[in-house]
Amino acid sequence: MNKVKVNKVRVFSTNACPYCHMAKDFLKQNKIEFEDINVEENEAAAEEAVKLSGQYGVPVIDVNGTIVVGFDRVRLKNLLKI
Amino acid sequence: MDYDVAIIGGGPAGVTAGVYSVRYNLKTILISPLIGGWIGKTPYIENWPGEPEAVSGHELAERFHKQLVNIGTKILESEVVDISKEKAGFVIKTSCGQTIKARAVILAMGSKKRKLGVPGEDEFLGRGVSYCVTCDGPLFKKKRVIVAGSGDSAIISAIMLAEYAEKVHITVKGPELAGKPYRIEQIKSNPNIKIHYNTMVQSIFGSKCMEGVALNNGKQIKAEGLFVEIGLIPLTDLAVKLGVKLESGLIAVKSDMSTNIQGVFAAGDITNGCNRLNQIITAAAEGAIAANSIYNFLR
Repeated sequence: MNKVKVNKVRVFSTNACPYCHMAKDFLKQNKIEFEDINVEENEAAAEEAVKLSGQYGVPVIDVNGTIVVGFDRVRLKNLLKI
Repeated sequence: MDYDVAIIGGGPAGVTAGVYSVRYNLKTILISPLIGGWIGKTPYIENWPGEPEAVSGHELAERFHKQLVNIGTKILESEVVDISKEKAGFVIKTSCGQTIKARAVILAMGSKKRKLGVPGEDEFLGRGVSYCVTCDGPLFKKKRVIVAGSGDSAIISAIMLAEYAEKVHITVKGPELAGKPYRIEQIKSNPNIKIHYNTMVQSIFGSKCMEGVALNNGKQIKAEGLFVEIGLIPLTDLAVKLGVKLESGLIAVKSDMSTNIQGVFAAGDITNGCNRLNQIITAAAEGAIAANSIYNFLR
């Protein structure tokens, strides 16, 4: 039986960051489920985003453990095989 | 020909041109990677008519987007990488590999943030150095940050950061701040903001991430973040490709927003049409005028 791999995607974002919204819209359009983590409201998540990416910038997108910083449509497509 | 009008740029100039152009029944496409342009990265906007409370930039940008969609403007979320003029119109190539033909164009590419041009700026980009407080500011909670700049954008950024940063420093090139008087009062009375006059960032130091900046007066400020707000540079590359005349780095437009090249109109931050006021409302006005002029031109 073929196993269907479910992507584990987390998006660390801020309320007003336009690229965060674009990234989330892109995932929604492609029917990719993701955990939406607002670093403005969650200080521990903000620290985690900085730690994971080594950067002070959003969006930070965790795709199955691979970290993408910024909204990189092509990279996301490749990682999610869409 | 695919379209009557191709609008390049999705800021207030491009969006308004898009709305007016469709209303004139012109077949219109708007090409931009980010609808709203800089508006979407602005913390809040207080001078847009009809908004009695300050509106967040993101919210206004979303409304612009919705209005374009509702009115039926075709939107292509992409960068324009090349443009050329042919006998019947213009050929536009985008970063997503599309080729679009249009009878006339409105150049509304806006501007990009001016960089400091100091050592460490590129090295620590994303690792302390940022050009967008709205986007990245919340990651600097309880951290020390510096804002470089003296105008309204720098002042708004500093005030916003002061709400959650441990300490905010603002480096001002001259002896005074250059923002609107009421904002200057706000920043001066904020106990969490230290203003450094006659001061410029000369270099940025750190190891893995930025740790501070060296100033032109020989002093240093230790900080985890630096937000650069020293103005904008007009994005005129495509205009230059078309042979459009520039004046002091801006597209020279007539009062109808036409340029020296037939069929090329321009609007917003990239033109010399608003006496350098460069506001959302002036860009929107130029967009409306450009659409009206194209309508008259194509008739």
